[in-house]
Amino acid sequence: MDLYVKPSFFRKRKNTVPAKKQSITSQKYSGQPLKRLLFFNSVTNRLFLLLINKSTRGVTRDLEKKFVADLEKHQNIIHKVCRTYTNNEAAHKDLFQEITIQLWKAYPKFRGDSKFSTWMYRVAFNTAISLYRKSKKSIDTGPIYDNLKELEYQDYNDEKDRQIDMLYKAIHQLNDIEKALALLYLEDKSYKEISRTLGISEINARVKMNRTKSKLKKLLNP
Amino acid sequence: MPTLENIKDVWKKQVDCKYKFSKEELFEMMHLKSSSAVKWILIISILEFIIPNVLLLFSDYKGTIEFYHKYELTGIMEVYFAIHFVIILYFIYRFYKNYKNISAEQSVKELMENIIQTRKTVKYYIYYNIAIAGVIGVHIFYRVFHSEVFLEQLPEDANMTTIWIMALVIFGFVLFLFWVVYRIIYGFLLRRLKLNYRELKKTE
Repeated sequence: MDLYVKPSFFRKRKNTVPAKKQSITSQKYSGQPLKRLLFFNSVTNRLFLLLINKSTRGVTRDLEKKFVADLEKHQNIIHKVCRTYTNNEAAHKDLFQEITIQLWKAYPKFRGDSKFSTWMYRVAFNTAISLYRKSKKSIDTGPIYDNLKELEYQDYNDEKDRQIDMLYKAIHQLNDIEKALALLYLEDKSYKEISRTLGISEINARVKMNRTKSKLKKLLNP
Repeated sequence: MPTLENIKDVWKKQVDCKYKFSKEELFEMMHLKSSSAVKWILIISILEFIIPNVLLLFSDYKGTIEFYHKYELTGIMEVYFAIHFVIILYFIYRFYKNYKNISAEQSVKELMENIIQTRKTVKYYIYYNIAIAGVIGVHIFYRVFHSEVFLEQLPEDANMTTIWIMALVIFGFVLFLFWVVYRIIYGFLLRRLKLNYRELKKTE
């Protein structure tokens, strides 16, 4: 009870607020202009918010469309990275999903200083090497993959297919960093690009590449 | 049989990968929640920031205050608390700055360094906590062991050195356990990353 008496400023405020409210709610006289003003204010505020929301939503939607188009065009890159770093279908899809999320997160910052594919490799490697958490239990992939189309290998004969499989099997035995090097080598990337993607010097990239290549050679021809 | 000489040719024959996602599937996918390791590091780090302080909150507050009064520790404890508070704020600021630096579009090495740095801040925070707990603990022991209240109820044949050693050993063991648990979590979170980081830096 004491609390209600002591702080005087608190009491004052408590009294004035209902008084103001009364003047607004009782119509016909002096309260009218204030009421109108408040009403006008709330309407403009709402309109303003709506406008902002719509425009930002429009911008994101455009960005989303552009991103999805770019992604669809270059999705082979992610699939290659996924096939390099995982060895079963569930993990492949899981990693693909995480890379996609990371790409979309970083996309607003992508300014086109580098090629989209180069930028994509960087994010994909980062996700596969440092960000992705390998989960041991089989992943429930959800409804997205239910209607996953398996492309038919019209152009493939069995021999080519077998060779690619063997190549991936050899790559799987490399460590995480060597896998990245092997993939960049197979994709014909320059040492400059490799050093930038991995963040090491060009000399170091050359040394590592030579080691990776000789390791790969042994794995391919035991 | 692919050899090193022809693997590039073999690779190029890989016209299309086994899978292809449609635009709709990609659209749905990009809005899913990330389950990246960094997210786990963030969650666990925040817990590690909060837990030592929550433990303080849930301790017997009144009993502690009475205890401080009894042994004339109130003043010095207030000083410790003020210092502790400032240091916690600094650590949180550093952690936030480090975390903001983490981005998937950095080079592989930069990203690894930033993740390790972020965790290091938490590591130093834990070490700091252990250190300050040690300092305050020894201070309290000193005051208690030299207080009249304590000395009066001490049996006559008691050896002060033995009491000190026992107190310090038990207290040190508790802090050591704290450190071990922390190292396990730390190692568990960063083991793979550190291996890769070492591999990347090897010939440099």
